[in-house]
Amino acid sequence: MTPMFFAVLATAAILGACATEVVRRPTEISPSSASHPLVATGASSFTLDSGYSRSIAAGTEFMELGRIGEGRVLKPLKAVFTVEGAHMHEAYPVESGGRLVGFYLPVERSFSPLSRPVDLVLERKPE
Amino acid sequence: MNCTKLLPALLLSLAIAGCASGPKHSELASAIPALKAGEGRIYFYRSNSMLGAAVQPTVSLNGNVVGDSKPGGFFFVDAKAGPMEVTTATEVEKKLTFTLEPRQTRYVRTVIGMGVFMGRVYPELVDPTEGEAELRQMSYIGSALKK
Repeated sequence: MTPMFFAVLATAAILGACATEVVRRPTEISPSSASHPLVATGASSFTLDSGYSRSIAAGTEFMELGRIGEGRVLKPLKAVFTVEGAHMHEAYPVESGGRLVGFYLPVERSFSPLSRPVDLVLERKPE
Repeated sequence: MNCTKLLPALLLSLAIAGCASGPKHSELASAIPALKAGEGRIYFYRSNSMLGAAVQPTVSLNGNVVGDSKPGGFFFVDAKAGPMEVTTATEVEKKLTFTLEPRQTRYVRTVIGMGVFMGRVYPELVDPTEGEAELRQMSYIGSALKK
C-alpha cells in the first residue's frame, strides 16, 4: 500500500467526520383528513445537499399525513426514509405538483428542502 | 516467533472474542414480553462483521445508556411513544432521530464506519422487513428475560 493510499484514506475519513448538518427550517403541519393510501408509480433517485444518495422505489405506499407550506407530507406505510448529514433523521417526503420538493422531519418538526426536486408521481392505491 | 503470522491470528482471535454469543431471536420469542399500553419497541442490532469488531461503544436512547453495540448482537428497549434520539459513543457522535408510535416496532442497526484514528459506529433506521430478517441471525445480548 502506497503513501497515496493512506493519504486518500485519511482524507476520506476527515471529510466523513466533517459532514454538514442537514439544512432545515421549522414548520407547522396541518393534519390531513385524507385516508386513502397513495402509491409511487415510478422510482425516484436523488442526492441530498449533504452528498448522500437516496431513492424512493416504485410501489412505495404513503399516507398523506398533512400539509406544510411547501406541499403535502407523505408518511411511508411500510418503509422508512432518512436524510443524513452530520446526523441522521427520519424524514417524510414532501410532494408538490408531482415533484418531490423536500422532507418533513417529524422529530425536529422542520422542513428540509431538496435543491434539485425530482419527479414523484403518485396515484391512489387500487381498492 | 514470526510476527507476520502471529499478528493476523491475534487479530482474528480478538475479533471472535468480541462477537456476541447469546441465544438467537427465535429461541427467545416466547420470553419476549408483550408491549404495555402506550409503548413501542426498538430493536438495536449490529451485523456480525469482523471489520472494526473491537470497537464496541455504548448505545444511548434519549440520553440514557441502553446497551452496547457488539457484532452479531441484539437487544431491545420498550419505550413510551414519542420522539427518540439514539447516539453511540465513538470518536465522532452521530445521532439518529425518529418517532416511535404506540405498539410500533422499530429497528436500529449500528454500523461501523471509517474514522480518523479508529472505526466509528453510528446508528441507522432500518425498514421493518429488513430489520426483522437480519434480527434472525443475531444473538441476544440484553438483560436476562423472565421465561
